[in-house]
This record gives sequence, C-alpha cells and structure tokens, in this order.
Amino acid sequence: MYGVVALKSTGETRSPAMPLVVLAIVGFALLGGTLRAAVYDSAALSTAGTVFSGVFVQALPFLALGVLLSALIAVFVTTDRLSRWLPRRPGAAVLTAAVSGAALPGCECGSVPVARRLYGEGALGAAALTFMLAAPAINPVVVVSTVVAFPGEPRMVLARVGASLLTAVVMGLAWSRWGRSDWITRRLPRAHAGEGSRWRIFVEAARHDFIQAASYLVIGAAAAAALNVIVPDWVIEKLAGQLLLGVLVMALLAVVLALCSEADAFVAASLTMVPLVPRLVFLVVGPAIDVKLFAMQSGLFGRAFASRFAPATFVVATAAATIVGLLVIGGGG
Amino acid sequence: MSREAENVLLLLVGIATAMITVGGAYTRYVKPAMLPWLIVTAVVIIGLALISIGMDIRRGSAADHDHDGHSQHGSVAWMLILPVVVLIFVTPPALRPQAAAPKVTAVSTDVLRRPFPALPAGRAPEVSIPDVMTRAAQDTAGTLDDRLITVIGFTLPQQGGVDLGRVVLICCAADAQLARVHLGGSMAAELSSYPEQTWLKVEGTVALRTADGDSTSIPTLEVASATRIAAPANVYA
Repeated sequence: MYGVVALKSTGETRSPAMPLVVLAIVGFALLGGTLRAAVYDSAALSTAGTVFSGVFVQALPFLALGVLLSALIAVFVTTDRLSRWLPRRPGAAVLTAAVSGAALPGCECGSVPVARRLYGEGALGAAALTFMLAAPAINPVVVVSTVVAFPGEPRMVLARVGASLLTAVVMGLAWSRWGRSDWITRRLPRAHAGEGSRWRIFVEAARHDFIQAASYLVIGAAAAAALNVIVPDWVIEKLAGQLLLGVLVMALLAVVLALCSEADAFVAASLTMVPLVPRLVFLVVGPAIDVKLFAMQSGLFGRAFASRFAPATFVVATAAATIVGLLVIGGGG
Repeated sequence: MSREAENVLLLLVGIATAMITVGGAYTRYVKPAMLPWLIVTAVVIIGLALISIGMDIRRGSAADHDHDGHSQHGSVAWMLILPVVVLIFVTPPALRPQAAAPKVTAVSTDVLRRPFPALPAGRAPEVSIPDVMTRAAQDTAGTLDDRLITVIGFTLPQQGGVDLGRVVLICCAADAQLARVHLGGSMAAELSSYPEQTWLKVEGTVALRTADGDSTSIPTLEVASATRIAAPANVYA
C-alpha cells in the first residue's frame, strides 16, 4: 500500500474500485437531499462543512499551480542538473535554497509537491526542505499582505521574514546533519526508460502529485474544520493574553486553523487582544507547519518523515519567532 | 484504487470545482476575487483527468496489465470523494454570524488615523459595514459626518437594541469575522422586533464621534429609513 508498490497484477484481478466509485456517487446523489437537510439543520455541521469547503477551495488553485510546477520540474530538472546549480557545501546550498524561496509566489500547499520533486540525496535534500519552509513565508505576495495587515509596524514584517528564514535554514542544516533519507518512504513513480514523451512524463507527474497532495489536503481541511468547531473562541481570548502562554497558544492555533499563508497576516492583525510577539509566532509557525501541511507531508514524503520533521519544525519555528520577536519587536509590544 | 477510478475521482473534483464556480456557490467559501483562479483550476483538473483517461485508453486498457495499473496512492485517494460529495450534493450554506469570530478589530494604533477618500457622490451612497467601522474609527477627514449613507446587513438583536451585522471574509470561510454597527434613532425599536438575521437596507447617518483610532468600539447608525430585502448573492462583506 505504501512505498514502491510491486503488485504484479497480470490482468486477472480487475480492481473493484471503479464500480465502487460509481456506486458511491449514485448513492450520494440519491441520498443528497437527506444529507443536505442533516447538514443544514445542524449549526455545527454546517459550520464545519463551510469551513472545510473554504480551506479546500481556497487551497485548490495554489495546489494546481504547485502541481503544474512540480510536473515541469519532473520533465526538465534532473537531480544531476540541480546538484550542479547548487553550491556543493550543505550550508551554502541551504542558504541559497532559503533565499530562492522568495521566487515562488503562493501558498504553502503548492510548495510541498514542488519540494518533493526537488528532493534528492545529500545537500539537495536539505536544500529542498529549506525551500519548502521558506517559500510560503517570504514570497512577495505574503510580504505585501503582511505590510498591508500591519500598517505602521514595519518591524513585524522584518521579524516575520527574518524568523521564517531562520526556521528554514535551521531545519535545512538540521536535516543535512541528522536527517535520514530512509524516513522518506513515499517514492515518486519513475519515468520508465524508453517510454513516452516529455508530455507523457509531465501528465503522469502532475496526475500523481495532484491526487496524492489533494487527498491529504482533504484530510487536513477536515481536521481544520473539526477543530474550528470544537475549540471555542474564549479559550484563545483567555489564554493568549500572557506572553509565554500566548506564544504557545498562538503556535498551536496556527497549527489548528491551517490558514493560507497569504491571509494569516490579516487574521493575526485582527487578534488585537494578543501581544505582538505571540502574533508573530502565529505568522511564522502557520506557513511552516499546520494540520493540512502535516497531512500533505505524510502523503508525499511518508509518515516516518512527517512524524519527525513536523514536530521539529514546530519547535524550531516557535523558538525562532519568539527569539526574533523579542529582539526586533521587544516584549512590551 | 485503480487508475481508472482515480481518474474518475479527479474528473469529479474538477467538475465539483466548476459547478460551485459557475453556480456562484463559491462565494460562500472564498472571496469573489477568486473567480478567475477557480475557473483556471477547474479547467486544469478536468483537462488533466481527461488527458489521463485518454492516454490510458490509447495504451489499450493499460490498467489491467501495465506495471502501474495499480496506483501508488493506496486507498487514500478515496478521500477525494469527500469534497465531491460536500461541494456537489451538500453545498454547505454561507456561515451564520454565530460561527464568525465575535469581533472585527482592525489594528488600533494612531498611525492608522488618516484622511480617507471621499464617499461616492449621490444622495445616499452604499458603504459596507467594515468600511463604516474603519472610517468611524480612523478617518480624520470626517467623510461620514452629516452624510446619509446606505448600509446592507442582517439584524442581530442585542440587549436593549439591535445591531446590523455582516460576516467578513479575509481569505476564506476559515477566517470569517463579524462586523457590526449599532442601529439608533426612533426607528430602532421597531427594527429590533424583526426576527434575527432579517436582511435590511438601512439609510442613515453615523452618529458623530471623535475618530479615536480605536476600531474596537462599535459606531452607531442613526436610522432614517429601513427596507427589508432578500439576502444578497454574496452574503459576505
């Protein structure tokens, strides 16, 4: 089921999946009215349904963009070529990757499939992961939306970019030292020798990455919707007032809400009862790791990878944002 | 899951995206500005599905004997049925005000106080509730003073009065917030007897107040006239 599937289906087992899909769709179509009534009648269910749709629909265009880009990488960028472009030393490679994150405008959901395609052994792996963490946090669209959301607070923008870069670089260096490629259990389908044109490789890569990433996006969006309904607002308001507790609460909130990195600045700006440093933590942690990213990382890299990389990212991002925040903004804000 | 089944699900996700986009239901979940991107996305997904199906057919029922007839995705691709069902068959409603975060609060610093551009000409130009709130709090040019404006929102009965509210989306339905103005004047008592969430088009003037930079305080609209209306196509502000 996972990894390299070596199922030798030699024509005998016609998968029952297709009739099942048809059956499921016909079933839901018949039950549609009942289902709809049940959701509309329950306040919790309709809120959860709307939030799920919101996260999924908002992420879809970015995912499509990311998948097209990753398919282009599959066609044109070989691992050899990439290693030749990158500096040899891991430190320099990670720094280069962090800064090139600024070149991919979009949300975090797009950068996971791109990073998976770029991933390779050694310095290349660390660089790809650094890129994955940096791109959604420091690209021009996100920087501009942060400027707009925090007028008169240029230090907030500076601190966000600084702390996000720091998180990405620290995680990249940590990976090059302690990371193990055998944690990455999900393999990408390889193009078979002599088979097909570039166009075919492109379609196969896009198809694979989209199905894989979108399936996990569904899990993540559903988790975000459920938590959105379950965690009451007063918890956040009560707990977020103090600095240390606030940092932790806002870091967890970033994970739970799974907001798009292009919008989170506006949400953070509106949480005026929370001091600036915890809000900075919210802005740094969110694009690096949240429930939907965790799901997508397990889907594209593997569970062994995600269960190590995600908690580490969470700790590093929270610490980086707190330290940079205290230095740049100060404890009083 | 077989390749064919995955392709069909992919096609259905694309069709679901196209349906909420063309039917307009997408405005319940994301900002209307997403329209062009959603169209492109639907075309890309549907195109990808159709091309994959076409390629598999050309290879001759490849799914049965090909090396990758079984996909690498395992059963997780079944998850894609969820958005298809939710978007096509359920199409969840727009958020209720209770589901939105209780307050809209722009940043409350004095830096924000500045002269705002004048309101559109006309007897009573329409101004959105969040715009009324920011202008009331931050405008140094007094564009709302003694000016009749039109505001559209739904009623939110309060203790001893009634508010006019509108749910505001920042990016998508996950970050919705509630914007509101108090309704004042002699007509307010009558309006407070309306059931909750009655859509109203209200003409009135914002009660004079110094712009104190604090947008957490809710401005009051002195009602000159109010008409019941049907819910607008895009219910969010």
